[in-house]
Amino acid sequence: MKKKVLATLLATAMVAGCLAGCGNSNDGAASTPATEEAAPAEDAAPAEDAAPAEDAAPAEDTSSAADASDPIATLIANTSGTVALTVWASEEDQDLTTKLLDDFKATYPDVTFDITLGAESESTAKDTILTDVEAAADVFAFADDQINELVQAGALQEVAAHYTYDVAAENATGAVEAATVDGKLYAYPMTADNGYFMFYDSSVFTEDDVKSLEKMIEVADAAGKKIAMDISNGWYIYAFFQGAGLELTLNDDGMTNTCAWNAAGGTDVAQAIIDLTASNVFVDMGDEDMATQIAEGNVVACVNGTWRAETAQEAWGDNYAACKLPTFNAGGKDCQMSSYSGYKLVGVNPHSANLGWSMLLAEFLTNEAAQTARFDARGLGPANLAAASSDAVQSNPAIAALAAQAAYATPQRVGGNFWSPAETLGQILASGNPDGTDLQELLDTTVEGITAPVE
Amino acid sequence: MKKTIKSIIRHFVLLFLSVIWLIPILWLFVTSFSGYKGINTSHFFPETWTLDNYAQLFLRSDSIVQYNRWFLNTLVIAIFSCLISTILVLMVSYTMSKLRFTGRKGLMSFSIILNMFPGVLSMIAIYFILKTLGLTNSHLGMIIVYSAGAGLGYLICKGFMDTISVSLSEAARLEGASEAKIFWSVIIPLSKPIIVYTVINAFLAPWGDFVFAKLMLNSGVATDWTVAIGLFNMLGKSMINKYFSVFCAGGVIIAIPISILFVIMQKCYVEGITGGSVKG
Amino acid sequence: MKKALNALENYFKNFGIAFVKGDIWVKLSAVLMGAGYFARKQVINGIIMCLVEVLFVVMCIGYAAPNLAKFGTLGTVQFEQVFDPLTMTSTVNDYDNSFLILLNSIISLFIIFVFIVFYISNMKAVYRLQQQKENGEHINTFREDVRTMFNEKFHITLLTLPAIGIVIMNILPILVLIAVAFTNYDQQHMPPNALFTWVGWSNFKNLFTSSVTVTFGYSFKKVLVWTLEWAVLATFTTYIGGILMAKFINDKKTKLPKLWRTLFIIAIAVPQFVTLLLVRNFFADNGIVNTFCNSIGFTDFLKNVGLVPSNLSYIPFLTNPGWAKVMIIIINIWIGIPYQMLVATGVLMNIPEDQIESARIDGANPLQIFIKITMPYVLFVTGPSLITDFVKNINNFNVIYLLTQDVFVTSDQLLANSNAKEVDLLVTWLFRLTNEYYNYKMASVIGIIVFIICAAFTLVTFTRTIKGDKEEEFQ
Repeated sequence: MKKKVLATLLATAMVAGCLAGCGNSNDGAASTPATEEAAPAEDAAPAEDAAPAEDAAPAEDTSSAADASDPIATLIANTSGTVALTVWASEEDQDLTTKLLDDFKATYPDVTFDITLGAESESTAKDTILTDVEAAADVFAFADDQINELVQAGALQEVAAHYTYDVAAENATGAVEAATVDGKLYAYPMTADNGYFMFYDSSVFTEDDVKSLEKMIEVADAAGKKIAMDISNGWYIYAFFQGAGLELTLNDDGMTNTCAWNAAGGTDVAQAIIDLTASNVFVDMGDEDMATQIAEGNVVACVNGTWRAETAQEAWGDNYAACKLPTFNAGGKDCQMSSYSGYKLVGVNPHSANLGWSMLLAEFLTNEAAQTARFDARGLGPANLAAASSDAVQSNPAIAALAAQAAYATPQRVGGNFWSPAETLGQILASGNPDGTDLQELLDTTVEGITAPVE
Repeated sequence: MKKTIKSIIRHFVLLFLSVIWLIPILWLFVTSFSGYKGINTSHFFPETWTLDNYAQLFLRSDSIVQYNRWFLNTLVIAIFSCLISTILVLMVSYTMSKLRFTGRKGLMSFSIILNMFPGVLSMIAIYFILKTLGLTNSHLGMIIVYSAGAGLGYLICKGFMDTISVSLSEAARLEGASEAKIFWSVIIPLSKPIIVYTVINAFLAPWGDFVFAKLMLNSGVATDWTVAIGLFNMLGKSMINKYFSVFCAGGVIIAIPISILFVIMQKCYVEGITGGSVKG
Repeated sequence: MKKALNALENYFKNFGIAFVKGDIWVKLSAVLMGAGYFARKQVINGIIMCLVEVLFVVMCIGYAAPNLAKFGTLGTVQFEQVFDPLTMTSTVNDYDNSFLILLNSIISLFIIFVFIVFYISNMKAVYRLQQQKENGEHINTFREDVRTMFNEKFHITLLTLPAIGIVIMNILPILVLIAVAFTNYDQQHMPPNALFTWVGWSNFKNLFTSSVTVTFGYSFKKVLVWTLEWAVLATFTTYIGGILMAKFINDKKTKLPKLWRTLFIIAIAVPQFVTLLLVRNFFADNGIVNTFCNSIGFTDFLKNVGLVPSNLSYIPFLTNPGWAKVMIIIINIWIGIPYQMLVATGVLMNIPEDQIESARIDGANPLQIFIKITMPYVLFVTGPSLITDFVKNINNFNVIYLLTQDVFVTSDQLLANSNAKEVDLLVTWLFRLTNEYYNYKMASVIGIIVFIICAAFTLVTFTRTIKGDKEEEFQ
């Protein structure tokens, strides 16, 4: 008898919970499971699909939008038992993701989820995933530079259809391009701020100072402080060469590179880097070091990304400022430093046992509401157009700087052979070319390494 | 007089050396009480002192720091793998040292060579073998990783057993004891130092290994990890500035029991290792 | 070598004899393995043998055959997946996973090999039973057979379990990786999405030739040289340092030797990865040691002497190739000496006191005693373990990896082109090749080379110990 009472109570509680959950989801339009335009937009959707699928939608599902004609209702109906999913988000994103996962569960009250959240940094997700794709999480976040390798290893499920929002239309074009390989969309854009720009302390530099790197060095030298950039890193050293118009592109095979860094003018850029760092004011410094040095007050300007905004803001307070990258002088000519525009994406593992739910979850983690929440919580620039147009986002200095830099930024498309040689080139130049190697020869060797064929 | 000066110099040198040896350890210890979470690069001693790092380890478990779980996981793995390893090592050492059978020397040469293969390379194959058996991301899998191949590391233990006089086992044999009985009640009790040595070494392995553990425990879920992966992870690029002092606190916590173990077992450890390596 | 061949010849000869001279039951055992036992009333043995045979056949049909059939090509069916947007599910074809085929095939081949050995020895055992019966000797009951497992055959009982572990953890992985060295398993050919296949000796050729783009040959030479330099330096510095330290602490003139020893032991009781990562940050370019050296003017002094490039404002402890190599060895001394001290303490305690005493009476000074008596004795005793340490240092992954990973950037462009660094040992290089670049084929080739080098060193020393048969002298 007692058991029965308990069961009734539980059931009531559950229904109540469901109603509450559904109510919530109806509030936020973006998180409603299926709005009209959300039904698969492509050639799919045959005639029967339009007919209501009677077996779907249980009685308590009051969500008016779920008109049972869509795959989600079918998926819910086909789901029995617990849906076990694993999600990987970066260490910094854990709190927010935990909250989003709760919201996700509340959106689909009829399904029992068992979602495990793991910590895996977006910048190294590839390393863990590629070792054993089948053991990787169902849904994971990663930085867009890894997309080629992930697609090649078959670690990304193509976003062949979308269900709760239009991934391609609602996100910035650049972000969608970054998630596309060979014309196919492979991931859900999450943030649009994985590029770099200049942070500075406005009590040291004026807005005019930060237009040219030479001027900045002069000012910092006078103040006895340093300007930091991770020069011995392919990702950052690209800024100089691309800025001087020497291109680096990925070939059509998706693996090898074409690189013009040793073309005419290349040695000027190399010499410029040597000269800039020779001052000992503009220094080669890794990201972790930068954080400490900013906090200690030794570094008053640095080339870095939004993930350092918090550190800089804490250290410099009201004087915290950000802007596009400055110009630098190569061979007597002022060149605007270029950069990589970067995005963080969410991918779905094709080997997932619950592919449908994984895709829905990936959409949920990247929809407008989630991107807004991510900006509010961590100041990360949204890729979602609606979320990015809000006043709060527009007035964020780091994001404004990124937007200003966007005109000189290029999406990151390079083959794996780029990184080691470029890193070494940066290391040699930043340490002043200690062996005195002929610069042209130095660049030739680098380019040979970068463009080396992949067997 | 001259003697006193000499003695003072001698102890001064020792003091100097031990300071050099202990400075990093001291730094580890004081940084674990630092109020600043990142790396302190300008002061040796923290500017603000706090117990918060320890509180974060033990009281505030989240999806990144699960120290209690890590400690428990590692402890379970360490206890079982040390039991199994020790048994395997003793079995092989006894066989190689006290029993005579055809092919013994061939087997010994073979096993010594086999032991030379770099473990980091066979890692990936071991991973897939264990995955086929469904043992990745499990304690059992880790225990197998740390203990299954232990039989190869028998050399020092065998060297020790070689020094145990053969007359003892002869006497037992005359009284009609089986080989198994001799192994159990004659040799084992006499091998105490080398058993302690083997136990300590096997027990320590899981606390210090991050390479195998990181590969085998790849679910990304913090509660599955061992102490080593958890701490190693804290020094990742995006973490180090928020977790360095927490890392130090975690390091201190594992160092304490191990140090005590070492100091207490020092005598046995020395006897075991030298008894074994006297023979090589 | 000749002895081994002879043994092998006898092995098969005896098998032949057993088969030819055996009676009908022995011959029947060639088909049904238990037959010979049934004939001699060893029913349980017979049943066990038959069971083993049945299990083997089942394994062959169900497991070995399907895998071995694809072993020649390592699979031909590429992974394909079709996604249905309406049901939100995807269907996967019945694809081949090259790595699993390779792994399973090698396991199968290994089981088959073991079975053949087992089969041959079974034939011999059955034939022996026949002879025993003919000679009217006593034939063991099952219980007696079990008892021999704890007496005459105790070594088999003891070795079975360790052997199984070693097969799983060492032998099979080694066989798999030797095989991988002959395939094109790399990032472009990674299962499950792609297939890989056999390529013969081409990976080995790549390692020993050097061209503009393929610089493995160049890197291999450099890394190998540093690996050996490191192994020699690391072994000797800690070895000598450990002995000196032990001598110093155990000297009668030293007060409280236990306390001093304990202080040094604390340094090794902290797990290595903790201390190494800590020390790496200790000596970072902007780390605390640099702050200190800067403030006392040591950095400027080194700059004036020319040891630090003038354009740096710090000492590149772990970022400049020369500095890093020296620092790695110094830090290794720091880590290694306490351990060696423990060993040496034990050894020194056993030094025959009378020799030292008589030398002292002859008027030798302490240095002479150390060089003439102590060192030879210690060397004699710990010689073999010195070689073990040397080989361990060749494979010393932790020290190099933890101190330089993410910190050290190579400034040798040719090394960079094959993902190597000046401070890399062969093992750390191959670890990065697999872990970051998924170049399993080259890593396997390097692994085999490391293996050969280490095996050569060990064989030279241990054959002496093993063959010399000094084992008995202590007993």
